Amino acid sequence: MLHRRIYQFLIVYATGICILFLIKFALNLSDYVIPSPKEVWITAGQVFIRYLVNVMDTLAVAVIGHILSIFMATLVGIIGRLTSGVGSLIKIAAFNIQAYPIVALAPIIFILLGDGLASRLLIASMICYFPLLLSVLGVLTEPVSDIEHFYRMTGRLTWQLEVKIRVFENIAKLTTVVSGSATLAMVGTIVAEFIAADAGIGYTIRIALYQSDLAKILVALFLIGIWTSLYLVCLEWLGHLIQKKWQR
Amino acid sequence: MLIECHDLNYQYPSSSTQVFQGLSCRISGPGFHALFGPSGVGKTTLAKMIAGLVKGFSGEINVKAKAGILYTYNLERLPGWSLVGEHLKEISPPAKTKHLQNLTESFGIEECLKTRFSRLSLGQQNRTNLTRYLLQDFDLLIMDESLANVDETTRETIILKIKRMFPQKAFLYISHNVVEVAKFCKDILVLRDVIKSPQITTIKGQDHTGEQPPDRRSLEQIMLEIVHAS
Repeated sequence: MLHRRIYQFLIVYATGICILFLIKFALNLSDYVIPSPKEVWITAGQVFIRYLVNVMDTLAVAVIGHILSIFMATLVGIIGRLTSGVGSLIKIAAFNIQAYPIVALAPIIFILLGDGLASRLLIASMICYFPLLLSVLGVLTEPVSDIEHFYRMTGRLTWQLEVKIRVFENIAKLTTVVSGSATLAMVGTIVAEFIAADAGIGYTIRIALYQSDLAKILVALFLIGIWTSLYLVCLEWLGHLIQKKWQR
Repeated sequence: MLIECHDLNYQYPSSSTQVFQGLSCRISGPGFHALFGPSGVGKTTLAKMIAGLVKGFSGEINVKAKAGILYTYNLERLPGWSLVGEHLKEISPPAKTKHLQNLTESFGIEECLKTRFSRLSLGQQNRTNLTRYLLQDFDLLIMDESLANVDETTRETIILKIKRMFPQKAFLYISHNVVEVAKFCKDILVLRDVIKSPQITTIKGQDHTGEQPPDRRSLEQIMLEIVHAS
């Protein structure tokens, strides 16, 4: 799993870099526009440790935001399945809010909460929360009739059992959704850092952008890709572990 | 146990087609009752209405049953997180432990107990599902093609075993097998298309208990009556 994810990222990253250098050499662009491979290598040596710390900072915020979103989506999903009225209302609200680009609200959040940790965390959570909520609601409001029927007929179907059945039957789908939303959490955090934060890899990229230093941006992108892949691998491994334990 | 359906009228919410029009029938006393008819005439719908799972009809269904009505069908599954044996133990009332042992032996599912439900054959799945319903308290158990995937010989053994073990309980057996319903059921409710009147007729079955060999002539006669009525 780990190898596959890392290989996939390295292939994509290497392809991107090659295309960039091809453009540079084909159009004879100066090192100021697209740095030479050597310059990228030297820059990597200079900023690697600092950028690594920045990526870890961003990842930590993304992970916390992601966990908060999962927790909130599960809670609202459980409440949403109680009655069809509440469920429908939450579903429609989540669907409509999800259709709106949440990141456009980021300036308001920064105005209200400042450019600290809280704003980054809130934006990261908001970006991955609604897609997660829609999937969790979809799973928890969809009856698994062929299993639930017996419990319903014999008066044994508690809400905990209902949730357990529906989660168990859709565990592969939920694991995929949680892994998919992890990328969104990372995107949300980086975007928040682009806009106004004073820490994290997004903030570092913004500084590099002001300096028009593409070499630094390429190093940052490499580290973001590697660490996001590692986080996804961890989530997939956790999902795999849960499925294995449940299905023994 | 008594169930009286009077002047039932029903059409599916998403359809304009009438399923029942002025349907009246009666199921009384313990034993095996059958609901027979071609596909699509509304056997499952009527069974679900009796079990209280389908609402929105006009007419009356009067139920006199202390322990209640259970409805089971052949596509049900057991939860995948536990083994069949663990699940059966979990859902069996403590007083029915002997019943559980007896049923697993008689239904030939002993070797399934340490397996997951999804790994069983369809016939084993049918037998396991029926076992857990028989362990519950009920006055009437509606078996909607519950043994559809079980071979004929085993099905006969199971029906006779149920009759011996639960003489005080009533069963509504939904099947397309005319020989089986004629042989094992005491009342056969033959359900017909809504355009035919009356929509349901009751025929006396042989109610075979396995003690004596079945009378072939009378069985053929009953089968003919069922075929004519349907």
